[in-house]
Amino acid sequence: MCTADELIHNIVNCSQIPSAKRRQEIQRELSAHIEDFVAVARQSGHEEHEIETLLLAHFGDPRQIAEGFSRVYRYERRRFLIFAYALSTVLLASSLLMGILAIQTGLAFGFGTSILKMLASKHTVIQALDILAFVAVYLGLTSLETLFGHYRFQKAALLLAAVVAVLTVSCSAMGFHIAFLLYGLITGVFFRAVRLFVPAEVARVGIVLVCFALAGFGFALLRSPVSLVELVATCASWLALGMGYLLMSRLAPRLDAALLNGLQGI
Amino acid sequence: MLLHLLSRGEMYGYEILQEASRRSANAFDLKEGTVYPALHQLEKKGQIRSKWRTAENGRERKYYSLTPKGKKTAVEYEKQWQHLTGAIAAILESK
Repeated sequence: MCTADELIHNIVNCSQIPSAKRRQEIQRELSAHIEDFVAVARQSGHEEHEIETLLLAHFGDPRQIAEGFSRVYRYERRRFLIFAYALSTVLLASSLLMGILAIQTGLAFGFGTSILKMLASKHTVIQALDILAFVAVYLGLTSLETLFGHYRFQKAALLLAAVVAVLTVSCSAMGFHIAFLLYGLITGVFFRAVRLFVPAEVARVGIVLVCFALAGFGFALLRSPVSLVELVATCASWLALGMGYLLMSRLAPRLDAALLNGLQGI
Repeated sequence: MLLHLLSRGEMYGYEILQEASRRSANAFDLKEGTVYPALHQLEKKGQIRSKWRTAENGRERKYYSLTPKGKKTAVEYEKQWQHLTGAIAAILESK
């Protein structure tokens, strides 16, 4: 019966239950119920088209039933979303870090800098944390935006800023310095804003190139005295970072959605 | 109500609704689909448990039964309900 299948499909799909096994079990249980309903209705002498109408009238609003299931499994869903978010963040940050390190290694080689020295430096750890914070903030923003109806980006950014502020203050009080969180917030919000408010890809690339070249230039000057080669190498390294971030801002939501769908199928 | 109905033995969703309708002389006209989220909620709370087995009609059905915790809750709810209905009856009967 097509109506019955549609009814069950609507309920299960709107229930937002993360586990595929659980969804299948609910589908099986509701199908069994409808099977009984149809059997009794047939025994009572109802025609097929009447049974469909009766079923829809007796079964209840599918959205309301789906909301009921959604409420029952809300904690499972929250746990699942947090897990998926953490997994996405780690996977994307690792990929981004690998990509950027590969480019920077190439640049170091080109500028005659020691590759081993560059990779084994504290700078690599800081960069890894910065990238992790950027991806966490970026994915956090895209996830939080779905919670709001209007001014989604602004509200999500404010909420994340509040979270970062609380974390920074708490960690500072305990003696931990987590400047990378602030860096992640700034870069995450910047790239999200560029992605949302700059329509042309060429313009996005231009903005990122200018901003990151300037940032690289500024950071290089902070380490004065600095040679021209070091200055150019730092700027090139920052440009690679900026391009990596821009690419990630394009791919992250798609990869995150694909991962979420994949996990929901398990 | 679901706990009380299940206190007489294990039942599956459709059976529970039929039983509720029969015992209430069709006074309870629940939307059938809404009983399942309620059953799942009770199961999550540990009040009832479920298992799939073959019903009398030869089809696989998910049977629900009370856990010891559910039995205790059913007795408590019944007492509370009787106390409440007794109090309301007393108010209605008083002149």
